[in-house]
Amino acid sequence: MAIDVSDLSIRYEANEILSHISFEINAGEIAAVIGPNGSGKTTLLRAMLGLIPSTGIVKFDGQPLSHMRARIGYLPQRFHFDREFPITVGEYFALTAQKKLSSQSLHQKLEEVGLLPSILQKKLGSLSGGQLQRCLMAHATLHHPSILILDEPSTGIDVVGEQQFYDLIQAERTNHQTTILLVSHDIAVVSAVVDQVVCINKKLICFGPPKLALTEEKLSELYGAKQGHGKGTLFFHHRHHP
Amino acid sequence: MILLEFLTLPFMIRALIAGAFLGVLLSSLGVFVALRRMTFFGEGIAHASLAGIAIALLLGFAPLPVAILWAILIAVLLFIVERRTRLSSDTILGIFFTSSMALGVILMNQTNGYQPELISFLFGSILSVSVNDLWIIGVFTAVIMSWLLRFRGHLTFLSLSEEQALVRGIPVGMQTLLLYIALSVATVLGVKILGIVLISALLILPPAISRLYTKSFHSHLLWSILFSEMIIFSGLLLSYFYDLPSGATIVLLGAVVFFLSLLLKARR
Repeated sequence: MAIDVSDLSIRYEANEILSHISFEINAGEIAAVIGPNGSGKTTLLRAMLGLIPSTGIVKFDGQPLSHMRARIGYLPQRFHFDREFPITVGEYFALTAQKKLSSQSLHQKLEEVGLLPSILQKKLGSLSGGQLQRCLMAHATLHHPSILILDEPSTGIDVVGEQQFYDLIQAERTNHQTTILLVSHDIAVVSAVVDQVVCINKKLICFGPPKLALTEEKLSELYGAKQGHGKGTLFFHHRHHP
Repeated sequence: MILLEFLTLPFMIRALIAGAFLGVLLSSLGVFVALRRMTFFGEGIAHASLAGIAIALLLGFAPLPVAILWAILIAVLLFIVERRTRLSSDTILGIFFTSSMALGVILMNQTNGYQPELISFLFGSILSVSVNDLWIIGVFTAVIMSWLLRFRGHLTFLSLSEEQALVRGIPVGMQTLLLYIALSVATVLGVKILGIVLISALLILPPAISRLYTKSFHSHLLWSILFSEMIIFSGLLLSYFYDLPSGATIVLLGAVVFFLSLLLKARR
């Protein structure tokens, strides 16, 4: 399912947060939104999902968001909830899943994100940051959505877990033709995994396949100061691990 | 046998049946009230219903249906204003609650003589539950509990994260409005036994006690209902045998169970 963003802008009082962003991602592609801190990456995803008001047009396979919600999986950057909320992981999946789940498919999904089925009996609020992120990833991909929107999916995850995440993302795309849009700080991983990059810093700086779009000039424009890397080498030196 | 003589008294039977319905209804809704941190809601709606009761008494209508309609109106207005302003729910509810109560006081000032109905609504009375009231309480309990059980997943999801629920396509606005309406109706129904002043305790105490013992959602819901029924039945019986006001007895008993549970948990 294709994603088409056309002339999307966000204003908050007198400030323009995002200005005239347009890009198109084809069905089955993986695209990454990159940019420095505060450039509006998360804001862009939230606007596309209708969580904050914006102007412009966002279409999923030619349809407005309201027609497509059930086919979109979303993993937020931070999942704010009351940690004292009395709910087990198993209940979280059972109560919030779109369709009835067999325990076999749920166990398999947990395994894919590196969790044991015994986690289902644990209280959701007692999970570590990494365990919670893995649970949310499993939740977002549970019913193989047509579009997967991931805001820094590997936040709080160790290196092994990060690789599992990207393997899962690739498998979703290969097996289910899922279109994936993710936000990441990790340009090295991004360049290895994605088909398109959307570079933003309040406005669209560049868009296209990483090797063509991420020129030294564009990266300097994107991140402001000189990077101190030769052309292309930034891909392999600009890694941040939370 | 003397202990069971209350079962021969029709008003006591009606109070026990009403208590059984209200115990299920208020504690179940109270679970979501606590999860969404809106404990002021019951308090506010109960006090706001005073205007509805005063209008009914002034016009000579049955107070309960008019108070229910008034509370629904307040709930809908609260929902609309909450969505259209940046004010917090507590602030908006506080404004509605005090202004509606003020309206009730002014309207009551226009009614002549002693108003026993009004006193029973303020402080609750097991004598005041009529057969008609029982029907109203029973029907609303059935309707609200059916909705709550059918959509408990939606309600849990939006209590956990409204944003995630919205992305998933859950009708967050509609379910929130329905929750406000259900809470308003349930609160006014409970006013018959506990009174305007004390009713919010039945929304707060059973889930608070249950939360001390449970870690899963379904056991939390179940134990909230069980604690609620236990407190209401024991409170009604104590109030009957010792000739105490029913609402105050139920609330005090609930508070004792809560503090004993806290102590028990602290000693473990």
